[in-house]
Amino acid sequence: MITGVKITLILLVSTTISSLLLGTVIAIMRVSRIKVLRAFGTLYVEIFRNIPGLFWLLFFYFVFPDLLPPGLAIKLNTYTYYPVVAGIVGLTVDNASYVSDILRSGRLAIPHGQREAAISTGLGRVQQYIHVLLPQMFRAALPPLGTRMVHNFKNTSLCMAITAPEITWATQQIESLTFRGIEATAVATLFYILLAGVMVSIIITLEKVLKIDISSISHSETAS
Amino acid sequence: MDLLDQFSNINFYLFGTFPKGEVGGLLLNIIMAFLAICFSCVFGIMLGYSRLSCRLYIKLPCIAYIELVRSTPLIMIIFWFYFFLPYLFGGNVTVFWSAVVSLCAYAAAYQAEIVRAGIMAVPKGQLEAALSTGMSRYNAMRYVILPQAFKIMLPSFVSFFVSLFKDTSVTYIIGVMELTQTGIIVSQRQPDKIYAAYLSMAIGFWVVCFTMSHLARRLEKRIGVFDLESIRPDACRDEFMLVPKTKKTGEGVDETPSCCSSDSK
Repeated sequence: MITGVKITLILLVSTTISSLLLGTVIAIMRVSRIKVLRAFGTLYVEIFRNIPGLFWLLFFYFVFPDLLPPGLAIKLNTYTYYPVVAGIVGLTVDNASYVSDILRSGRLAIPHGQREAAISTGLGRVQQYIHVLLPQMFRAALPPLGTRMVHNFKNTSLCMAITAPEITWATQQIESLTFRGIEATAVATLFYILLAGVMVSIIITLEKVLKIDISSISHSETAS
Repeated sequence: MDLLDQFSNINFYLFGTFPKGEVGGLLLNIIMAFLAICFSCVFGIMLGYSRLSCRLYIKLPCIAYIELVRSTPLIMIIFWFYFFLPYLFGGNVTVFWSAVVSLCAYAAAYQAEIVRAGIMAVPKGQLEAALSTGMSRYNAMRYVILPQAFKIMLPSFVSFFVSLFKDTSVTYIIGVMELTQTGIIVSQRQPDKIYAAYLSMAIGFWVVCFTMSHLARRLEKRIGVFDLESIRPDACRDEFMLVPKTKKTGEGVDETPSCCSSDSK
């Protein structure tokens, strides 16, 4: 069970970070002026949002190695932690689509003036994003982003379907060894509630630390 | 010919063994989602409304239930009902019904949050005006608040339905013969058809979810979500529903005394 918690935490942290990165990239693509990039971003979101995360986990675990050259596939399939890796990848691609959608609405909430101001101070396009737009995007999008991350945490339980040894999987193992299904499920549920509580409190403190008057931004936007 | 052969058991993905045996495949997914949506709508509205109640003995159990369910993964809920329902109903609960019940319990908590957010987004003046025209509280809710709240809730309701439909795939864990299970079984029995199996799974889910979300967008436009712009920040925030607690409970505290006082008037 304890190793289960450890694996769940590993899954959680790595998917959070990687899906944030991927989601940011996709979000920037979706608002970019280049048509191909925009189309690609939209396609990505439409595909990955409309297919369950469970499917992506199964896909990366069962099908993906088959698509690779055989030597690599055998190496992957015999790798002990491949379920975990597949879980991370699957959850990331699923979560990133939601993250990018949230960030895109965060980007749209930023007034035009910010970008114009950034251009007029002579920042390049990349610098604009790094110094001006991205921090504001994240701040504006923080509440739904936090929600999404908690959702993602709950989705880590799906990794039991591909035998990644996390909490839910440990529960099933305990049940099949000792036939104490209810006790094991109760303990696992407790773990989940505790961890979710910790996550929510972290997000709330983050929100307080990064507090900014979001309402004023969005109101001026809707007014214009 | 080879390609057609790959998809030879397309009926199996779509309806399972339906005309001869049990329903399965994508059809079962749709049935499960539909049943769960219907039941959980009722429970969700009840829960969400009673969460706004100013009587503590109604409010606290609702809050406890909603928070408990929302911080537990769906798989856990499915397991709970899988273990518990046989105790309650004496051992002959089919897997299908335990899946539907758990989906329903899961969805009700989320819908309660949406309903609550929707009711709270209706300006306070509306309720006060309705009460001052001499409507009873029930009538005020029924004819004034809920129609307005419903328009606000619609987008988040639909996005939740889409995600609920996707979540029906999780029920394969307890052995419901739906699309995911079918795909896995086919891909394990006939490893040469693995790509076809996964492709049909993906396309099945994608088509349904995509049409649902696009119909929803059209419906939204037609129903004319009135001044959604002014409500946007809230609506956005509640789209995925795990609302940051401090802010919402803060608002709730502001809200409840006023509705109590207007009640006593």
